Parts: sequence; structure tokens; C-alpha cells
Amino acid sequence: MKIMVCLKQVPHQDARLDVRPDGTWIQEDNIKFEINSYDTYALEEALRIKDLLAQEHAVEVVVVSIGPDRVTQSLRTALGMGADRAVHVKDPEADASDPLGVAKILAAVAKADNPDLILMGLMADDGNSAAVPAMLAELLGFASTTSVMKVTRSNGTIRAERELEGGALEVVDLTGPSVLSVQTGINQVRYASLKGIMAAKKKPIDTKSVADLGLSGKVGPAAAKVKIEKIYPPPKGKGAEIVTGSTDEIVSKLMGKIKELGLL
Amino acid sequence: MANILVVAEVQNGKVRESSYELVSFARRIAKAQGSEVRSLVAGKGAQAAAEELAKKGGGEVYLVDHELLGHYSVDAFNKVVRAAVAACSPSLILFSHTPIGWDLAPRIAAGLDGAFVSDCFNVEESGKLVFLRRIFNGKLDARFVPTGSPVIATFQPGATSPFEGAADGKVTPLQVALSPQELRVKFVEVRTVQKQGVDLSKADIIVSGGRGLGAPEKFPEVIQPLADALGGAMGASRPVVDAGWLPHAYQVGSSGQTVTPKLYIAAGISGAIQHLVGMKNSNYIIAINKDGDAPIFEVANLGVVGDLFEIVPALTKAVKQAKGKA
Repeated sequence: MKIMVCLKQVPHQDARLDVRPDGTWIQEDNIKFEINSYDTYALEEALRIKDLLAQEHAVEVVVVSIGPDRVTQSLRTALGMGADRAVHVKDPEADASDPLGVAKILAAVAKADNPDLILMGLMADDGNSAAVPAMLAELLGFASTTSVMKVTRSNGTIRAERELEGGALEVVDLTGPSVLSVQTGINQVRYASLKGIMAAKKKPIDTKSVADLGLSGKVGPAAAKVKIEKIYPPPKGKGAEIVTGSTDEIVSKLMGKIKELGLL
Repeated sequence: MANILVVAEVQNGKVRESSYELVSFARRIAKAQGSEVRSLVAGKGAQAAAEELAKKGGGEVYLVDHELLGHYSVDAFNKVVRAAVAACSPSLILFSHTPIGWDLAPRIAAGLDGAFVSDCFNVEESGKLVFLRRIFNGKLDARFVPTGSPVIATFQPGATSPFEGAADGKVTPLQVALSPQELRVKFVEVRTVQKQGVDLSKADIIVSGGRGLGAPEKFPEVIQPLADALGGAMGASRPVVDAGWLPHAYQVGSSGQTVTPKLYIAAGISGAIQHLVGMKNSNYIIAINKDGDAPIFEVANLGVVGDLFEIVPALTKAVKQAKGKA
């Protein structure tokens, strides 16, 4: 069995987000990057399936990411956590693709690798589109479901519990090769062990270009069907009245308000 | 004339309110561009829902009524939407950003090789279409301009008011052949999650903690004492629950509980959209966070930019003293 996990490297959750001069994306120089939080849960879920089935048959976990050199760091982390090998689509033409472009790249990688199951996060912490997993499934002709909170398997069927509004769960059964997008909190994500990190150094990272995937001219910013015209900080509302001063002064102000609300 | 297709959702035999919000957007765009609004209703026994939508702004409503559409299934609904697209060749297809919308719309976009914009909160329709959406979990806004066709967009439920004017439409049945073998994703059941005794919806005061707490033991040490002193309940943001620090029952937000207490105190919560949705209608909100740019300060009435580990225990002490005197 082969599981492909798609990882996106995104700005660190605490990174400072400054709009770059052309206004269409953030300044990416001098900020820290990390694996998209949702994708770490997808990787953990793949590794759990691998651990669970280890007695029955071998499961290969392949991680795939698109992006510049810095992405190697995230792929090494994933290999350190237990993935078997990595595919790095490293090509300026691949960067800044729209979600459909990303899905086309991942579909080309998947066609070459032929996974039984593809896992990835529900969405990315930067673009928040929640689009690529279902697009990828459509391009591959795979079954798909999204916002998954639990995965179990029996006799070639995957049972997934997907999160609905208000915390309700929908249980579905998937047949055949499938793409699942996972929600955060589906599991507790492991850390890479020192042993894992050492072992990861010997694991292969296969680098591919857009041309290698037969997608020249079909992906990237030039082929994108949606363009970002401008990004900007959300317009400030009335906003909070900010209390300043010493801790005592702040507490006294808060107490005054709580009393005023009739709650003391 | 170009068409706009609204993909409506039926819940308990009725068209969902969010679908009427899509009708509002669709009619606004149609008016500006001289296009025509059409809708799709798919379900089992959905005739009445389709008729209602036709009377309330949906325009020509395609109705696909089929035994296999009683529950959502991505394969069946994909085929049905594609049949409606074939029937009216829309330049714009609208979905709600719901568990059905985000599951289905990207597949439609990929299948049509179209331009996809997700989870929009508004659209500008004069001249070219510009879709407005939040990125970076609400920290930034963005203007998205489609350059491909057709355009497939999903809209946040509640992004606009539901369409209320009456407009004459009609229901056009559409035949789509579906067989159980085609459904690779089969519905089994819907389960509601047990609340486990924490019902935040009834609390007058909620003190919630977020990622800023840094460790699970800080909840009993810092947050719970303030909640107890005030006679309120403790809540949490999603990252806290995801990390396993507290059970799901404590989660406030779109995938947890929606609350409207008299006082909501958010400590160490930055204010991701999914959290704000669940608490922004509280009567009064106090936010304590070390990052003055955190979105939580946009919905808060009173804000403290500072160290919650200093402020919260001091406030707890003050509340206890005040109550002791009373």
C-alpha cells in the first residue's frame, strides 16, 4: 500500500505578515516557515496507518511538496517523523500557482507514483482555500471527502468521519483510491525523534521540475485562472478600547467594567 | 445572455438560508452584468423546495429529484451539478462555503477547468468581478480577480442578507441517471457530538483561553480560577482542543459551541475567524493578548495588550476580594 501526503510550507503561525511593495502577497524574506498545521495532522494520520498495518503488509509513505529550496527543511522534518521518501517539485514556474495549478502538479506526481490513498490538510494556513484536495481527486478520478476527523479501514473500504457545522460528524464509506483532507485535531502529531532525524538524512528526496511533470506552460502564475489583485490588513472596525497602565491600574479598570455590567 | 447558476442546498425539505444569500449575490451581479439567474435544487422529494426557491428569486430552478439524492454524496451531486451546467452554460456558479460546498465546488472547478475562489465574504460587481476573502486565518484580506472561465465561487454563510423580494421563476425538472454503483463515497450516518456536561450556551460569563496559554496545566492554574471566581464557565479556542489540552466540549467557535454570554473574556486567543464566529455576539468582550495586532481586539470592547499570566491572576484576586466584601 502506498500513501501520498501533500505538505505545504507556509509562514510560521507567529510570523510577522507585512504586505510586499507590489501589494499582491506578503514579504517572505526573513520570516520563518513551517509545515502547514493541517498537513502535519495528515502526515501523522498516514504514519499511524503505516504503524497499524505494519504486521500485515508494508506501507510506503511518500511526502510531496512544491516550493523553493527552503521546502527541503520541511521534507526532512517529515522524513524524520517517519515518511519513507519525498518528492520536491522545485521550479519557479510551479510557485505561486493558483489552487487548480497546485492540484495539476500534485496530480502529475500522483500519476507517476500511483498511491492508493492521498492525505492532506483541509486547507492551508496561508491561502485558506480548502480547494486543492477535492480538485486533486477530480483530476485523478479518485473518491474524496473533506474535513475528516477519523479514519478507519476494513476490507478495502475506508470509513471517514467528517466534521459538519456545529461539531456534528458525518460518517461516509469510500471505495477505491481516495483523497482525504483532514481537519486539525484528528490525532496528536508526533515529533521527529533524534533517531528519526538521523535516519532521514539517508532517505531520498526526488526533485522534479514542471517540465519533468509534462506541465510546462500549464501551471504557475501565468497559467493561473485567478489572480490576487491586492492584499491588505482587514479594515479596522471600531475596535477595542485599549486599557493601559500598571497591572493594578488595568485590573481596577477591568473590575470597574465587570461591576458596571452587574456581574459582581 | 450569460447565466449565473446558484447551487442551492436543501436541508429538512427546505432551501437553506445560505442559498438565499447566494441568490442575493447572484441577482446583484446579474443586474450589473445583464445576466440571468438560474438555480439548482437536488434532493429526494425536493419539489416543494424547488417551487419555493422559484418564487423567491431563484429564477429558472432546475430540479433533480432522485432516490439517491436523499443524502449528500459527492459523486452524485457532482454529476447533477454538471448536468445543470450543461443545461445553461453558466459563466458563474455559486456555492455556499458549507461542508457540502467546500466538498463539491472544487471538484466542479477542476472538472470544468475553471477559475475558483473560495470562502468569499463579498463580491464587487461593477466592471470586472472582484471577490473579497480572508487569508492567513483572518489576519489579511485579499481581492481575487478571476481570469479564467467559468468562475466557481463559494460564499461564507451569513456574508449577506438572504434575498427577500419576490420574483417569478419556474421549476424545470432535469433528468439525471444515477446508479448506486457510481457512488464511491456512501453516506452512513450523521452523529452529534456529546456535550460531556459543559454547556457554555447557558453561562453568563465565559473565560476562554487559547494557544497563548502555552501549556495544558495553565488552564486549571490560570483560566479556571478566574471563571470560578466570577461564577462563570471555562472555554477554549480550537488549537487548545486540537492539541488535546481540553476536551472538545470546551471549544468555542464554528466547529464547537456558539455562545452569547453577558461577559466573554478571551485570554491568549488571537481570534481566528472560526473562533470569532462563535463568540462575537457576546454582550461584552474583554480581550487579553500580548500581540496588539491580534484580530481578537477588533471584536473586543475592552482590550489589554499585555501578559495574561500577570493580568489574569491579579484580576482573579481582585474578584475574590470584591466578592468577599459583598
